[in-house]
Amino acid sequence: MKKWFDRKIKGNQKSSSDEETVSFQGLIKKCRESKDFITFQQGDNFPFIISYFKTLVNPDFVHREVLDPISKYPINTLDELKNLLPVESIVITKDVKQIQDKLLTGFILIQEKKDPSMCALVPAVAIEKRQISIPETEFSVVGPKEAFVENLDINLNMVRKRIPIPDLHIKEIIVGKLSKTRVSVMYIHGIANEENIKTVIQRIRDIEFDQLIDASFITQMMTDNQHSPFPQLIDTERPDRVASVLSEGKIAIFVDGSPQVLTGPTTLPEFFSAFEDYFLTWHLASAFRIIRLGAVMFSVLSTPLYVAILTYHYEMIPKDLLSPLIASRSGIPFPPILEAIILEVTIELLREAGARLPTKVGQTIGIVGGIVIGTAAVEAGLTSNVLLIIVALAALASFTTPVYQMSNSIRLIRFPFILSAQILGMLGVMVCLGFFFSHLLKLTSLGRPYIAPIYPLRIMDLKDSLFRLPLDRQGNRPMQLRTGDPNRFNSKRAELKRKAKVDIED
Amino acid sequence: MLPLPKEHRQVSPYFTFYLIHSMQKGVSILGFERYIMKDAGYDSWISIIISGLSINLLLWISYSILNKGKNDIVAIHANLFGKWIGGVLSLYFIVYFLLMVTTSLRTYIEVIQIWMFSNVHTWYLAIIFLLLAYSFTVGGFRVITGICFFSVIIGIILVFLVWFPLKEAEDFTNILPILGHATFKDLLVASKTMSLGYLGFEVLFMYYPFIKQPERSQKWAHFGVLYSIFLYLLTAVVAFSYYSEEQLARTIWSTLTLWKIVDLPFVERFEYAGISIWLFIVISDICLGLWAASRGLKQLFSIKQKQWLVIIILITFIATIQFTDRKEVDLLNMFTNEIGFYTIYVYIPILYILQTIIYKVRKKRYGN
Repeated sequence: MKKWFDRKIKGNQKSSSDEETVSFQGLIKKCRESKDFITFQQGDNFPFIISYFKTLVNPDFVHREVLDPISKYPINTLDELKNLLPVESIVITKDVKQIQDKLLTGFILIQEKKDPSMCALVPAVAIEKRQISIPETEFSVVGPKEAFVENLDINLNMVRKRIPIPDLHIKEIIVGKLSKTRVSVMYIHGIANEENIKTVIQRIRDIEFDQLIDASFITQMMTDNQHSPFPQLIDTERPDRVASVLSEGKIAIFVDGSPQVLTGPTTLPEFFSAFEDYFLTWHLASAFRIIRLGAVMFSVLSTPLYVAILTYHYEMIPKDLLSPLIASRSGIPFPPILEAIILEVTIELLREAGARLPTKVGQTIGIVGGIVIGTAAVEAGLTSNVLLIIVALAALASFTTPVYQMSNSIRLIRFPFILSAQILGMLGVMVCLGFFFSHLLKLTSLGRPYIAPIYPLRIMDLKDSLFRLPLDRQGNRPMQLRTGDPNRFNSKRAELKRKAKVDIED
Repeated sequence: MLPLPKEHRQVSPYFTFYLIHSMQKGVSILGFERYIMKDAGYDSWISIIISGLSINLLLWISYSILNKGKNDIVAIHANLFGKWIGGVLSLYFIVYFLLMVTTSLRTYIEVIQIWMFSNVHTWYLAIIFLLLAYSFTVGGFRVITGICFFSVIIGIILVFLVWFPLKEAEDFTNILPILGHATFKDLLVASKTMSLGYLGFEVLFMYYPFIKQPERSQKWAHFGVLYSIFLYLLTAVVAFSYYSEEQLARTIWSTLTLWKIVDLPFVERFEYAGISIWLFIVISDICLGLWAASRGLKQLFSIKQKQWLVIIILITFIATIQFTDRKEVDLLNMFTNEIGFYTIYVYIPILYILQTIIYKVRKKRYGN
């Protein structure tokens, strides 16, 4: 049955993916169907036919740089035209497929009247772009305030100007049957691992999809395990972050039309490092990272433990804590599990409503939801205020995760924990944790282990994972990445400088 | 010659420390004090050391066998005794691994039934734990090494809990005078009982080819055993100074009972948390055992390891639910102890001697 089904799908694919070969006349005829396609010749003596999509090209440019020279100088052939026009990358070709691609990405098509099959293609694309703005999801108080925009070339520019070396390579791949999206893979040659680069390029080439809207499509389709709740590539909107991970030996993937850039291979601890950590002194940065990790554990485990302990092991609560707990729980008509799930779902509702509304209305929703509903629920005796505190804190803690995709995952994985706490108490929580452990141990990011520096244990890599040591101790690139050049800078010289002992009065 | 595993399936030599130690710790540490106390009284801590040192010797012998054979026990057996006899001997090892898995699993379920959930059925817990073990084991040896690594790390946290009974302990002089409680023969008997605590290192015979530069891993393996000795010794000394002899004789799970007096400001009755966390230590045992058995079967018969894994998990499940009460679980432990004792103390030295002789004879017969 399954085989038959597979075969049927395969058959369908074949028929739809066949590249139709169009003749040149056919192409022009198809284009004429659209109102914004313009073909014209100036007078009978004019030797060329010019056609372009009005909505794709820059009209100023066409008039000033193309039509003006052509009408001024007496030229008759395309080769003369190519020499005359002050524009680079003019192509002269007969290949219909190339003509189609270029025409539809903002090139002007110029034909000789005598030999209409030969065409010159002049780039004249008009780019509508947004101003570079400040990062919103990864905002930092100190440090650069640029964020990526939707235009691929501007994004590449923002990174390239930070790493002005010829070894910074960019490979471009076109993905998407309908959208023809430009996807750029950026890496530093000689530092990034060759195998990783090959994996990335191969996986992007293998993507079969029609409409590639955003970088997150790429993440979903090229990651190692699509069914994992954890993101396996970090998406960022900060050019400084991309430049910094590139110099570590990672690879960045830019997608045209997306203000997010993907970086990988990545590891779990990296999701809990905000880029601002690098702008603070190392004690503060380390402390904040540890607080964030603690927040994640609290966020995932606190409600399940509440359910487990109040359902099965209330002996575990110390005597002094027991009386306020009992006072808050007495008279509540629901078992702890129901109470917990109702509150967790309420918090999710608030978040979802807040996320779908404009900022100002969103704030109102937060106040109404958080204060009014919360207080009313406790006063009505539907939930205990202890649980309300726990759930609210857990939600707050989940928002400390700097990477948005990861904080979503963390909120989601709380629910299996709550259910297993109801089934087997503390043991259930541990069994659930075990299943997540087994998943994380098996997970890879571009073929590299996901929870490295912890397992496999790489002590040298711990310097910038769970905590962050001073910058001059960060002399080596992560071992995990198997980089071509393990030294970031001359760490011996840095060490000598550090070790030069200065006496009190020198 | 059976093929060796590929490089990307192998682990670094130092992981042998975690592999050896996590397999040894298991459930036995939760209640071994009572049994050795029965044999040698307050002097039985000496037996822990005797037993542990003898295990180090056996480990050395095992490494000699493996370094010469350069592959796992199935290949070594086939090489020494031919396909059929070698195969039967390998099958014995596989059954023995499964016996160890069943013992660990059933004993842990027993602990849960006594301490946490008295009404939960054995089959219910067995299904959950075996599913968890399956999800680790299908990940392959690297994933299993990972859970062993984590189980040792988690174990270190639990070691610090001995602080609480030490604070309460009244009589540190219980174990004095040294050798004042037992004869030398008693000590040997206690050492034999104690060897159950060190069983499990022989899974090395299966995962040896999965270690990069396996000769270099030997020192880590010895460290692993030494760390086990240290843990057992620490637990025993704390238990001996906390309990009197009569109390200990009546306390089945003495280490667990010690957790009861853990006194933290935010949690009481720590043993609930402790037993739950112990899951990771038990599951690493079970996974390693299941992996070793399924790997051995794959080497013997040409069926995929994944299918063998499902089959042996079913076998383990059926075996586990046969034992219904405390007495039978105790019997199972005693039986495994006996089998294990003879396997490591009798079979491994014999294998060593036979291997040496056979290699010498072959060398003589076929020249170099």
